[in-house]
Amino acid sequence: MYADYAYLIVGLPVLAFVLCLFVGWHLPRGGGFLTALATFGALVISLGIFSEIYPDKIIHQSMPWFANFNVGILIDPLALVMLLMVTFVVTLIHTYANGYMNGDPGAARYFAEAALFTASMLGLIYADNLLQLFIFWELVGLCSYLLIGFWYRKPSAAAAAKKAFLTTRVGDVLFLTGIILLYNNMASLNLALKPGEYLLQFPVIYAHLAEIPPAQLTLIALGLLGGAVGKSGQFPLHVWLPDAMEGPTTVSAMIHAATMVTAGVYLVARMFPLFYAAPHGLTAVAAVGAFTALFAATMGLTAFDIKRVLAFSTVSQLGFMMAGLGIGAAVGTMAVGVAMFHLIGHSFFKALLFLGAGSVIHAVNTNDMREMGGVGKYMKWTMYTMLIGSLSLAGFPFFTGFFSKDEIIVIAYEYGVLINFLPYIFLVLAAVLTAIYTFRMWFSVFTGKERSNYGKHESPMIMIGPLVILAVFAFGFGFAAQSDFYSYLDSNFEHYDVNFEELSVIGGHVLAGEHGATEAATGEHAPAAEGEHGAEEAHAEPWYIQILPIIIAIGGILTAGLFYWDKIKKFDPSQVTGDNDPIRKMLLKGYYQHEILTGWFAEGVVYGTALICNTIDIKLVDGWLNWLSAWVMGFAQNIRKVQSGVVQNYVTALVLGIVVLVVVISLAKEVGLA
Amino acid sequence: MDFSHYAPLWGEALLTALAVLVVLLGSLMKDSGKLMGYLSAAGIVAALAIVANTLTISKPAIFFFDTVSVDALSQFFKAVFLIVSLLVVIASLSKYTGKGADVYYALLLFATVGMMVVASSVDLVTLFVGFELASLSTYALAAFDKSKKNLEAAMKYFIFGSVSSAFMLFGFSLLYGMTGSTKLADIAAASLGNFGPATLVALLFVIAGFAFKMALVPFHMWAPDTYEGAPALVSAMLAAGSKKMGFAAAFRVLLIGLIALRMEWYLAFAILAAVTMTLGNLAACWQDNVRRILAYSSIAQAGYIAIGFVVVGAAYGAAPVTAFNGLAVPAAQLGIAGALLLILGHALMKTGAFIGTAQVASMVSASSEKDPDDISNYAGLAQRAPITAFCMLIFMFALAGIPPTAGYIGKFVLFSSAIYSGLLWLAVIAILNSALSLVYYLRIISYMYLKEPAGPKVSEPKGYVVALVLTLIAVVWIGVFPQSFVDWALQAAAVLLPQ
Repeated sequence: MYADYAYLIVGLPVLAFVLCLFVGWHLPRGGGFLTALATFGALVISLGIFSEIYPDKIIHQSMPWFANFNVGILIDPLALVMLLMVTFVVTLIHTYANGYMNGDPGAARYFAEAALFTASMLGLIYADNLLQLFIFWELVGLCSYLLIGFWYRKPSAAAAAKKAFLTTRVGDVLFLTGIILLYNNMASLNLALKPGEYLLQFPVIYAHLAEIPPAQLTLIALGLLGGAVGKSGQFPLHVWLPDAMEGPTTVSAMIHAATMVTAGVYLVARMFPLFYAAPHGLTAVAAVGAFTALFAATMGLTAFDIKRVLAFSTVSQLGFMMAGLGIGAAVGTMAVGVAMFHLIGHSFFKALLFLGAGSVIHAVNTNDMREMGGVGKYMKWTMYTMLIGSLSLAGFPFFTGFFSKDEIIVIAYEYGVLINFLPYIFLVLAAVLTAIYTFRMWFSVFTGKERSNYGKHESPMIMIGPLVILAVFAFGFGFAAQSDFYSYLDSNFEHYDVNFEELSVIGGHVLAGEHGATEAATGEHAPAAEGEHGAEEAHAEPWYIQILPIIIAIGGILTAGLFYWDKIKKFDPSQVTGDNDPIRKMLLKGYYQHEILTGWFAEGVVYGTALICNTIDIKLVDGWLNWLSAWVMGFAQNIRKVQSGVVQNYVTALVLGIVVLVVVISLAKEVGLA
Repeated sequence: MDFSHYAPLWGEALLTALAVLVVLLGSLMKDSGKLMGYLSAAGIVAALAIVANTLTISKPAIFFFDTVSVDALSQFFKAVFLIVSLLVVIASLSKYTGKGADVYYALLLFATVGMMVVASSVDLVTLFVGFELASLSTYALAAFDKSKKNLEAAMKYFIFGSVSSAFMLFGFSLLYGMTGSTKLADIAAASLGNFGPATLVALLFVIAGFAFKMALVPFHMWAPDTYEGAPALVSAMLAAGSKKMGFAAAFRVLLIGLIALRMEWYLAFAILAAVTMTLGNLAACWQDNVRRILAYSSIAQAGYIAIGFVVVGAAYGAAPVTAFNGLAVPAAQLGIAGALLLILGHALMKTGAFIGTAQVASMVSASSEKDPDDISNYAGLAQRAPITAFCMLIFMFALAGIPPTAGYIGKFVLFSSAIYSGLLWLAVIAILNSALSLVYYLRIISYMYLKEPAGPKVSEPKGYVVALVLTLIAVVWIGVFPQSFVDWALQAAAVLLPQ
C-alpha cells in the first residue's frame, strides 16, 4: 500500500519547495516547518515501504516518457537504505535549521532551496534509469550551488559557490560522456526489448553488460567514475568541498557531509556490475579512493577552521567508501554492502559532528579553533554528543564507525593478499590520522582554557534535540544493524538478471572465496556475493589484522591527547615541528594545491592557453564571423527593402514566383533532376 | 433522417448555429459583448469535446457523397484550430466587450468553421468553400478595430488573398478539366501524365493558393503588413490558425489527389522551404516592430513545416527506417508527423506570443503616440508585467526550438525525418536557420529582462493572463511529455499514406 505512494517521496518536498518559494515569507520561520514536515512525510512513506518489502522484495514502477526513455521508480535494498538514511538525517537537519536559520531574512529562500535539494536527492536515489538519475544529479548540483552561495552578498560565498559549480561540472561532463557511450553501446546491441523495458534502465543495463565490448566498458566506467569523483569530492576534483563550507552550517551538514556527496559513492554502488565487468574499472576506483582517504586526512590535521577539519574528514571518509567499493575486485558484491554501511554510518556521525560544530559556532561566533577552548563548560549537551560523534569517526570500539570503517580496512587486507597492499597501507595510515585530527578538534574546542572572549550559552532545544537523536545512531547503529545490513545489501543484485561469474571473467578478477583468500588464490572463481558475512569470514584474517583498527583508534586518540588535552599534555605542536618545517608548511598550505591548481595551472596554463585562443578567436574566428554576420545583416536589410508596402508589387511577386517555379521545375525535369 | 449518423460533424454544426445565434442575440440585446464571448468560448469547448471523441478514429467516416471525411488527420487539425480559437476568444474577453463585439465573436466562429471544413474535405469544391469562408471572415476581422492601420492591413490581405484564390480556383478547374472529377480519390486514380505542361501549371496554381495561406516566400508578402496592422488577437488567429489551414488543405490535395506529381511538388517545396526559412529569418533580424518580427518568424516556421512535404516526396513508399524511438516507421510518415507536431506547437507558441503583444500594446497605446508594437516598449517588461514577460520568454525559447518545449519536439522529429530520408542538406539549412533565429528571439528577451523598465508596473488583464498561462502549460507539457503527442501525430500522418 505504501508502495503506491512512492512518488510522494519526491512529491512532498517538491510541494514544500513551491509553497516556501511563493508564500514562505508570509509564514513564521520562512515556512521551515513545511520543509521539515514534507521530509518527515517522505521518511514515513520510506519506512512504510521498508516494512512492506523487507527483506526479499523490490518495487519497480515505470511509465513511458518519450522515445527510448522512461520515468520510473526502483526501490531495491540499495535504494531503500539510502532513502531511509537521507529522509531521516535530512528531517533532523531541517528541524535543526528551524532553530539555526531563525531570524535570517532569507529563511524562506533557504527552506525553498533546501526542499528542492531534498526532492532532487531522493529522486536521484530511486531513479530506475541512468538518464533520470542524471537529471536529478544535475538538480542536486544546482541546489548545492544555490545553497553554498546562500549568503551571496559575501564575496567568499559567491566565489565558493562558483568554484563548486565549475569543479563538479568537470565531473558531470565526464558522467554525461559515460552515459552517451553506454547508450550507444546498448543501442548497437539491437536488443529485443520487452514492453516496459528501456535501454538505460538499470535492470536492462545489468542484464546486457556482458555483451558490451570490454574496452568500451572501461571507458564508460571511467566516465561514470569521473562524475562520482566530482560529486563525492575525490582527488583531484576535491578542491571545491572545503570551500563549500561557506554556506550555512546546516547546508554543510545536509549536502556536503551527509547526503549529496554520497551520491558519487551511490552511483558507483548502483553501477557496481558495470565497474566489476570493466577491466581495471574497480582498480581505478580503489586507487582514487585510497589515495584521497590519506591525502585529505593529512590536510584535516592542519586546518584551524572547525568546519574545514570536518570537510577534509568528509573527503577522506568518502575516499574510504570509494576504496571499499574498489576492493570489490577481490571480494565481489560484498564490497557494496561494506561501502554502503560506512556511507550510512558516516552520515549519522558526520551530520552529528557538523550540527554540533554549528551549535558551537552559533554560540561562540567564530569558526577558528584557536579562539575556542573550554567551550565544554558552557555547552554540555553539545560537548557530549560531539564526543560520541568523534569517537565514532575515530573508530573507537563498539561505536558505529568502528564497525563500518574497520570492515573496509579488513577487506582491504584481503585485497592486499590477492592483488596489492597499497590500498591497505593507505587506509591504515588514513585511519591513524583520522583518530588524531578528530580528537585534535574535540580537545582543542571543548577542553582547556578559554582562548578568547566568546558567547557562553547552550543552543536552544530545537537544535539540541536532533543532536541527541543523531548521537544515539552514531553510537548504536553499527552494533545493532551490522549483520542484517550486510545480508540485506548482499541480496541487492540477486533481484536482477546479472551473472557475476561471467562478469568477473570479463573484468579479469580473481575473487577471495567465502572461506578466505587461499582458495581463490589457487585460481577458483568463487563469487562472494552469497554467504554469511561477518564472524565466519572475518576469522579468515590473522588476529593482528582484526585487532589493528582498535589499536589505531585508541593510539590515535591518545596521541591527539598528548598534544592537545591539557590534562595529559606532553608536547606543544609548534615545538615539535618548527615553523619553518617544510612538511608542516606543506600541510598548512594544503600541498600547495592553491599554488599549483590556481597559481600555476589555472592562471598559468589555462589562462595562458585561453589568451592564445582568445587572440585566435578575435582575429580569426570573430573576424570571419563578423564579416559573415555583416554580410548576412546587409543582405537582410536589402531583403527588407523588397517589402515596399505597395500591394501591386506583392501581387507581381506572387505571379513571378509561380513563373519562376514553372520554369525551374520544367528545366529540372529536362535535365532529369526530378 | 438519422442525426446520430452525423455525430462526428456535430462540432461544425454547433459552431455554425452558435455563430448565427450570436449575431441574432447581439442585435437584440444591448451590451451583450461579454456574454457573447462566454457563449462562444463554451461553444468552442463543446466542439472540442466532440472532436476529442473521435480524435484517434481508426476508420475514416465519409459523409455527403464522398466529399467530407472524418479521420485522425482531420481531427488533429480541428483540434488545433479549436484550441487556437478558444485561446483567442479567452484573450478577447479582456478586449472585445462593448458594442459590436457580437460580430467579432461571430466572425471568429465562422472562420473556425471554415477551417474545420477544410480539414475534413476530400473534394476540391468543398475545400474551396471552406477556404473562402475562413478567408472572408478573417478579411473582415483584420479590419475590425477600424483604425487606419487596420484598414490598410485588411485591404492588402484581401487583394492578395483574392488573387491567390483566383489562382487556386484556376488550378482546380484545370484539374477538373483533365480528370473530370473534383474528388481527390478520383483525381488520384486518373492519369495526369497525359496532359503535358498543363499539369505542372495546374499544380503550381494550386500550390500558390495554399502557399498564400501558409505564407511561403514569395507568396508571403501580405503577411508582415497584415500581422502588424491587424488587431493583435486577429493576428494570432491568422498566424496560428488560418496559416495551418493552408497546410491542412495542401496535405490532402497533394498527398492524396496529386501524389502522382510528387516529383514536381517535391522540387517546388524543396525550393520554397529552403528559401522561405532563410529569407524569413534574415528579414526578422532587422525589424524593430515586435509583431513584424513575429510575422517573419512565422514565415520562417512555415518554411520548416514545408520540409514535411519534401520528406514525403523523397521517401514516399520507401522502406521503414528505425527511427529515434527504436520503432520502424516509414520516413514519410515521420516527416508528416514532424510537420504536424510543429504545426501544433507553432499554433500554441504563436497564439501565446501574439496575445503577449496585445498585452504590451494595451499598456502603451493609452499613454503615447508611438508605435505600440515597437521593441522599445518591451524594455523591462519583466518588472512591468511579470507574467506576460515570463510567458513570452518561454514562447521565444520554444519558437527557437530549445528543449523542453513543443517547438523543440516538432523540429526534432521533422529534422530527423529529413535526415532519415537522405535530405541532409535541407536539415543542415534548417538547423543553421534555427541558430540564426536566436538573434531576434534573444533580442526580444534581452529587452524584456535586461533593460530598464520603460514605465511603471501595470496590471495584467485577466483574459490575457488566463490565455497566456494555458498556452504556456501546453507548450511545456508537450515538451516534457512528448510521447503521446508523437504517437498521435504518427497516427494522423498514417491517414495520408497507403496502408
